[in-house]
Amino acid sequence: MSENNAVEKPQPKITRCAQPYWQSCLQEKLSLPYCKACDAVFYYPRLWCPGCFNQDLDWKTVSGRGRVYSYSVVHQSPLPSYQQDVPYVLAVIELEEGPRMMTNVINCDVDAVHVDMPVAVTFEQRGDMKIPQFQPV
Amino acid sequence: MSNSVAIAAVSELKPARYPDLDGYDLYLEVVRQFLAEWSLKPGDIQGLLACPSGMAGGGSSDIFVHEQLYEELGIHPLFADTMNAGGSTYGLMVQRAALAIRQGLADSVLCLGAGKFPKVSAGGAETMARMVSHEIYEFPYGTFIPAIYAQVATRHMHEFGTTAEQYAAVAVSSREWALKNPDAATYGSEPLTVAKVRESRPIATPFHLYDCSIPLEGGAAVLVTSETVAKRLNSQPAWLLGMGEYHNHRNIHQAPSLTDIGCNKAARLAYQSAGLTPKDIDFAQIYDAFSVNPLVFMEELELCPKGKGGEFFESGASAPGGDFPVNTYGGLLSFGHTGDASGMSMIVEGARQVMGISGERQLSAKGANIGIVHSYGGMMSEHSTLILGRES
Repeated sequence: MSENNAVEKPQPKITRCAQPYWQSCLQEKLSLPYCKACDAVFYYPRLWCPGCFNQDLDWKTVSGRGRVYSYSVVHQSPLPSYQQDVPYVLAVIELEEGPRMMTNVINCDVDAVHVDMPVAVTFEQRGDMKIPQFQPV
Repeated sequence: MSNSVAIAAVSELKPARYPDLDGYDLYLEVVRQFLAEWSLKPGDIQGLLACPSGMAGGGSSDIFVHEQLYEELGIHPLFADTMNAGGSTYGLMVQRAALAIRQGLADSVLCLGAGKFPKVSAGGAETMARMVSHEIYEFPYGTFIPAIYAQVATRHMHEFGTTAEQYAAVAVSSREWALKNPDAATYGSEPLTVAKVRESRPIATPFHLYDCSIPLEGGAAVLVTSETVAKRLNSQPAWLLGMGEYHNHRNIHQAPSLTDIGCNKAARLAYQSAGLTPKDIDFAQIYDAFSVNPLVFMEELELCPKGKGGEFFESGASAPGGDFPVNTYGGLLSFGHTGDASGMSMIVEGARQVMGISGERQLSAKGANIGIVHSYGGMMSEHSTLILGRES
């Protein structure tokens, strides 16, 4: 296991259109792309709005609050970097502003997690990046 | 010119481990067995569709696999391609073949698949998790295929009160069918019970080991033909009465709903094109990587009311002797999941039941008049529904 423990968790690749997203994460703020035509935020970052194809986009810092939309408690992970965390929660959360994100629900008993559980964003250091994670409010 | 199209001939390798055969060798074995089982001449195959055995080969060096296969067969097709849509590949191949035949491009198209399953313990599961989840916005959270499917299962439990025992009942029903199928990987094994499923080791809630399909290797061939060729090759072909496809999402967190995942949209198009309703369907073959799939897709196929899939499987209606047979070959849960080729198995069995050649598990003529075959690719991302029947 010590060998597995040494495996670093994956660091997301930073794509061109997502640079502001990851920069906000470094400041522990969750910012989502915002379509000026639709007046709506969306996830994940793209070069155009998936609602109307408009390319005139901005960024909006969102509340970071949401609810668990669905989840699973993972008991057996084949991923070396996650084996030390078993059991861990893989979840889809729905932000107050609408978009859904995949995440882990952390800093709680895995058996306490349930659909509709209120959660808030927190940030996990991965190398020189910070990635959004969610924890119970 | 008649517009009727049929599946005239099918063949499938027994799911197993074939350590001496690589992905392409498996393809050749599929073709060899198919040609041995059906008396065809080169002119009987005018088109060819194949799928790169990417997972099996550990890469995509065979993205031109259709070229090698038609050359090896010694034919010069009028219609050919290599295509991939995961588990829905073969349902979509049948649909593409039907369109080509109706358009007059070819009278017959051979659809081929061969697959190996990466060894879960040898980094294969990580490779697959990478393949089916968003590299940036999902994979870094420790995605794992059972845990992705579990998102749909958990949400269904929340909205409709479905229980883990009801998912387990799907696996129990599949095993009962597999015990009647000598080609099934679990043939000759013990029957399952809900308790046995729940007592098997936990994988990702609500799934335990027996809620998951059995990773194996195999492959199959399906010959789609015009009416004239179908009648010449088979006294009872499986007529393609209707078809529909729908492409919903790629990554599970982007699905607009986890309780309306795209299956229903494909199914409605299939019913519409067949001029049939769910009441006309006698049996269903539903892609089942996990026990959740037949349960939620019975609802999306409108074969039972929304939220009642759990009660349906609990009642035993899907099992041998039940009112509405589901996955009569044992499903991927008990027949075996042949990796890239897995989307073939439910089509082969759907066609065999309609042709009346399913052996001990054969449904009565009245009970196998019209069947529905649903397959999906990716993480329930894209969907193919076929309706097959005894009369064109």
